[in-house]
Amino acid sequence: MYEGVSFIPLTWTDMLYLAPEFTLAAVFLLLIVLDLLLPKSVSRLSIGWLTFAGLLVTLGLVVWRMLDMNKAGAAADAVHLLSNSYRIDDFASLLKIVFLTGTAFIVLLALGSVRDDDAITDRAEYFYLLLPAVIGAMMMSSSGNLVTLYIGLELLSLTSYVLVGMRRKSSLSAEAAFKYLVTGGISSALVLFGMSYLYGVTGSVDLAVIGKALPGALVDFQALVYVGFLFMLAGFGIKIATAPFHAWAPDVYQGAPSPVSAFLAVISKGAALAVIFRIMFNTVLFAVGGEDANVSNDIFFIVLVLAAAAMLVGTTTALRQKNVKRLLALSGVANAGYMLVPIGLSITVVHSSNFSEFIYYLIAYLLMTIGAFAVLSVVSRSAGHEELKGFSGMYYRAPWTAAAMVVFVLSLAGLPVSGGFFGKLFILLGAANAKIYWLAAIIVVSSVISYYFYFGLVRQMFMRSGSDDSDIRVPAATGAVIWLCAAATIALGLFPGPLMEWIDAVFSIRSDLMFQ
Amino acid sequence: MEMYSQAAWLIPLFPLAAFLVLTALGRSFRRAGVFIGSIGSLAAFALSLLIVIDRLGANAVDYNYAFDWIRIGDYTLRIGFEVTNLTAMMLVVVTLVSFLVNVYSAGYMKNDERITVFYGYVALFTFSMLGLVLSDNLLSLYIFWELVGVCSFLLVGFWYSKPKARAAAKKAFIVTRIGDAGLLIGILLLFWYMPNHALDFTTIQSVFDGQTGAITTGITTLIALLIFLGAVGKSGQFPLHVWLPDAMEGPTPISALIHAATMVAAGVFLIARTYDIFQDSAAAMETVAYVGGFTAIFAATVALAQNDIKRILAYSTVSQLGYMMMALGLHSLTGGIFHLFTHAFFKALLFLGAGSIIHAVHTQNINEMGGLGSKMRVTAWTFAIGALALSGIPPFSGFWSKDMILTAALETNPLLFVVGLAGAFCTALYMSRLFFLVFMGKPKSAAAGAHESPATMTFPLIVLAVLAIIAGFVETPWNGWFGSWLSGEPEDAHGSGVVIIASIAVGLLGIYLGWLVYGKGSVSRTVIAERLPWLVKLLERSYYVDELYAAVIVKPLKAIGAALSVFDEYVVGGVVRVAGAATSSVGRLSARLQNGQVQTYSLAAVIGFVIIVVAIVGRRFLP
Repeated sequence: MYEGVSFIPLTWTDMLYLAPEFTLAAVFLLLIVLDLLLPKSVSRLSIGWLTFAGLLVTLGLVVWRMLDMNKAGAAADAVHLLSNSYRIDDFASLLKIVFLTGTAFIVLLALGSVRDDDAITDRAEYFYLLLPAVIGAMMMSSSGNLVTLYIGLELLSLTSYVLVGMRRKSSLSAEAAFKYLVTGGISSALVLFGMSYLYGVTGSVDLAVIGKALPGALVDFQALVYVGFLFMLAGFGIKIATAPFHAWAPDVYQGAPSPVSAFLAVISKGAALAVIFRIMFNTVLFAVGGEDANVSNDIFFIVLVLAAAAMLVGTTTALRQKNVKRLLALSGVANAGYMLVPIGLSITVVHSSNFSEFIYYLIAYLLMTIGAFAVLSVVSRSAGHEELKGFSGMYYRAPWTAAAMVVFVLSLAGLPVSGGFFGKLFILLGAANAKIYWLAAIIVVSSVISYYFYFGLVRQMFMRSGSDDSDIRVPAATGAVIWLCAAATIALGLFPGPLMEWIDAVFSIRSDLMFQ
Repeated sequence: MEMYSQAAWLIPLFPLAAFLVLTALGRSFRRAGVFIGSIGSLAAFALSLLIVIDRLGANAVDYNYAFDWIRIGDYTLRIGFEVTNLTAMMLVVVTLVSFLVNVYSAGYMKNDERITVFYGYVALFTFSMLGLVLSDNLLSLYIFWELVGVCSFLLVGFWYSKPKARAAAKKAFIVTRIGDAGLLIGILLLFWYMPNHALDFTTIQSVFDGQTGAITTGITTLIALLIFLGAVGKSGQFPLHVWLPDAMEGPTPISALIHAATMVAAGVFLIARTYDIFQDSAAAMETVAYVGGFTAIFAATVALAQNDIKRILAYSTVSQLGYMMMALGLHSLTGGIFHLFTHAFFKALLFLGAGSIIHAVHTQNINEMGGLGSKMRVTAWTFAIGALALSGIPPFSGFWSKDMILTAALETNPLLFVVGLAGAFCTALYMSRLFFLVFMGKPKSAAAGAHESPATMTFPLIVLAVLAIIAGFVETPWNGWFGSWLSGEPEDAHGSGVVIIASIAVGLLGIYLGWLVYGKGSVSRTVIAERLPWLVKLLERSYYVDELYAAVIVKPLKAIGAALSVFDEYVVGGVVRVAGAATSSVGRLSARLQNGQVQTYSLAAVIGFVIIVVAIVGRRFLP
C-alpha cells in the first residue's frame, strides 16, 4: 500500500479514542430504529431531544479527551490511529467542539421551529440526519489521509443533500436540494480529481508522506502538482462557497429549512475550511527552496485571491439583496473569505498565530450566524415570508429579540463590542503582520461595504413601523439559542483574552497540526 | 480587613441593574421608576458606606483588582477597579446624593409623562459616575468620562420639546468635547511615553512620584496641561464654563446631581487621581491655580447680576469649582478634595431647595418671588443653612473647607489669597441677595399661591442640611483628620488666625451688604445700575463670553463649514457617488449571475477558476 508502512489495525484502546464518533453513530442507529418502532401518534420532537442529548454527550467526551490529552501541556503528542489515517489532536478536538456545539444549537433551533413548518413531513429524519452529517465533519477534521478525508466529506455532503430537501411539500426546497446535489457532485469530482493527481505524483494518500515526497515530485511533475492542488481547492471552494464558486449558496439556503441553512453555513463550511487548513499546512508548506518556493507561494497566493474574491463578491452582491436568507448566504460567502485569510497567509517568522485567528473567527461566526438564523426563523414565521421588510418595526413588537439581532448584526459587521469585531481584528492584524497590505485593505473595504446592508436590517427594525402590530412569539428553544448566542457574542467582544490565551496554551502548530 | 473594598465592583452594578430593568419595563410602569431607581442607589449607598466605615481605621490599604483584558502582541491591556480612601469618599458622595435625588424626583417629576425614562437615565448616570470613580486606569476612566457626558447630554435635553433645552444639551456636549479631546490626546501621549505603556494609576504614581526621569519635564507639563484641559471642560472652568449655566435647562434634580455635586466635580477628581503628574510640573500647577482662581472670582461676579435662581447657583458652582482647582494648584490636595466633599452637600441642597421653590412658584426669576419664607418653612430654613455654608460662615461646612483653601493660598501665593477673599465676599453677597429676594419681603406676582413641597422633596433637603452643617468638622484648623486619612500620612493642623478672621469678616460683610440692599432696603438697588449701567450689563451678559465665542469661533467656523460643504457636496460627494455606483454595478453584475440556473453557476465557477489559474500559475510556464 504505502511505501514501507504496514497497516496497523484498530485495537481496543484505539476504539476508546473514537468514542465520540461511535457514540454519535450509535445514537443515530438507535434513533432510526426508534423512529420505525414508535407509533405515528408519538411526537417526533422526542427524537429531536434525544439527538440533542446525544450531541451533548459526545461534546462531553470530546472535551474530556482534549483536557485529558493536554494535562501534560501544549506539547502533548497527538494520537494517530490506523497508520496515521485518523488523528486525535487539539486541532481536531477544537474543531469538533465547535461543530458539536453548533449542531446542538441547530437541533435546538429545529426543535423550536419544526412545529410551524408543515412542509416538513419526516420530522424524525430532520433531526437524526444531522448526526451522520456531523460525524462526517468530525472525520474531516481528524483525517490524516486523503481517503478518510474524502469519506468524511461524502458522509457530510450526502446527508446534507437530504436535509436541504427536507421540506418535501415545498418546490423551492426540492429545487434547492437538486441544485445542491449537482453542485456538490461537481465539488466531489473536482476534489477526487485533484487527489488522484497528488497520489499519482507522490505515491501516497497519507498527508505526511505527501508532504515529504512533494519536493521530490516537484522536480519532474511541477504542472501535475499544480493540477492536483488547484482542483482540490476548487472542489473545497464550492463547499465553503467562496467566490467564484459561491453561486449555489443563496438558492440553496433559501430553499432549505432555516436550521439546515445554518448547518450548511457553519458546520459544512467550517469542516471544508478545516481540511484546507490541514492539507495546506501539511503539504504545500514544505515545498520550499528554489523552484519549490514558487509553487508553494503560488498556491498560498491563490488561497488569498479566493479570499479576496469572496469578500468583495459576497459583500457587493448582498447590497441588492432583499431576502434575508439569501443575504445571510452572501454574508457567509464574505465570511468564508475572512476565514481563508489565516490559511492563505502561510507561516512566516513574524506571523504564526494563524490557527488561533482562524478558530476565533470561526467561533464568532458560528455564534452570530446561528443567532441571526434563529431570529430570522422567528421573524419569518410571524411575517409569513423571509423578505427584509418582515423585520420592519420589530423593535416595537419584540424589543429584546430586536436587541439580540442588533448584537448579531454588530458582530457580522465587525463592530465592537462583539466577537466578530475581535475576530476580524485578529485576522486583519495577522494580514498586517505578514505584510500583505493589499489584503488588509480589501478586508477593510469589504467590511465598510457590508455596513450598508447590515444596517439596512437595523434600519428596518428600528426606524420603520411594521405593517402589522402582532407580537412576535419566540418559542422557548429558539429563544434559548438566540440568547446563548447573543450572550456569547458579547462575552467574546468584551473578553477576547481568555479564549485566545487558552487556544494558544493548548495548541502547538508542530504537534497539533503538522504531521512531520 | 478591607473586606468590603473587595466587593466594591458590585456598587456600580446596582444602578446598572436598575437602568436595565427600567429600560425593559418601558413607560408602562410609572410608579416602578421611583422604587427601582431609589432601591438601586440606596443599595449602592449602603455598600459604599460600609466600605468607608471599614476604611476609617488608621492604615487602610488601597485595594486593587485588575485582570488582563486584551493582549495584542506584547502589549497587555489590564482593567480593573481600585479602592483608595479618595475613591471611597467619592463613592459615598455620589451614591448618597444620587439616592436623595432619586427620592426628591419622586415628588418633583411626579407629573412628567416620561418619569420612568428619567429614572432610567439617572440610574445610567449613577452607574457611569461610579465606574469613573472606581476605574483603576485612565482608559476605563475615559470611557466612563464619556459615558457621564452622554448621560448629562440626555438629561439636560430631557425636555427636548423645549428648543432651549435642545440647544443647551447640544452646547454642553460640544463644549465639553473640546476638553475631552484634550484629555484623550493627553492619555495617548501618556500611553506613548509610559514604560510598558501602562495607564493604571499605581504605575503612573510610581513613575512620576519616584522622579525616575522616565519622562522629561516638557512632556510631563504637556500631558498635565492636556489632562487639565479635560478637567476644564468637565468642571466648567474658564474659558469652557459656558455650557454649565445653560445646562440649567435640564430638570432641577439633575442640576443638583450632575451639575453641582458629582459630574462637574469629576474634573477635580481626575486631577487628584493623576496628582503625581501635576506635582512633577511647576508650570502645570501654576496654570491650574491661576485658572482656578480666575474662574472663582470671574463666576462669582457674574452671579451677582443674574436674575434666574438656577443660573445664579450654576455660576456659583463654576466659582466654587474654581476654588477647588485653585487649591489643587496650590499643592493642597486635601483642600481641594475637602471642598469638593462639603460643596457636594451644600450645593446639592441649594439646588434641591431651588427646585422646591420652582415647584411652588413656577418661575425661576427671583424678582418675581419674595416672601416665601413664611409659606415654605422647611425649604427656607434648609436653604438658609446651605446659603450660610456656601458663604463661608462658621460653623457650617463650607467655612472649614474654604478656610483651608485660603490658608494654603496665604502661605504660597498672596495674590490668589486676595482673589479668594474677594470671591468669598461676592459669594456671600450674591447668596444674601438671592435669599432676601426669594424668602423675605412682600410676596410678588408668582409667589401668591405658593405652599410647601411634599415630604419626598423636603426629606432630602433636611438630610442635606444636616450634612451641610456637620460635614466640615472632619477637618478643622485644629484637627487634620481628613487630610491624614486621605493621604495616609499624618498631616499637621494648619490653623491661621488671620485667615479665619478675614474670611468670617468678608462673609459677614457680604451678607450685611446684601441685607442692607435687598433685605432692609436702606441702600437703593438701582444705585449701581444708574451710575454704572455698562458694568451691570457686562455682568448680566457674563462678560459677553458667549457672544465673543459666537463672533470669533462659531461664525468663522460656520463660514468655513459652508465652504467645506460645497466642496463636500460636489467633490467628495461626487467621488462617493462614483464609488457607490461602481460598487452597486459590480453587485448588479454578480446578482445577474444569480439567475437560478445551475448550469450558469457551474459555468461561472469554471470561468473564474480558469482565470485564476491562468493568471497566477500560467506565468510560471510562460517562457
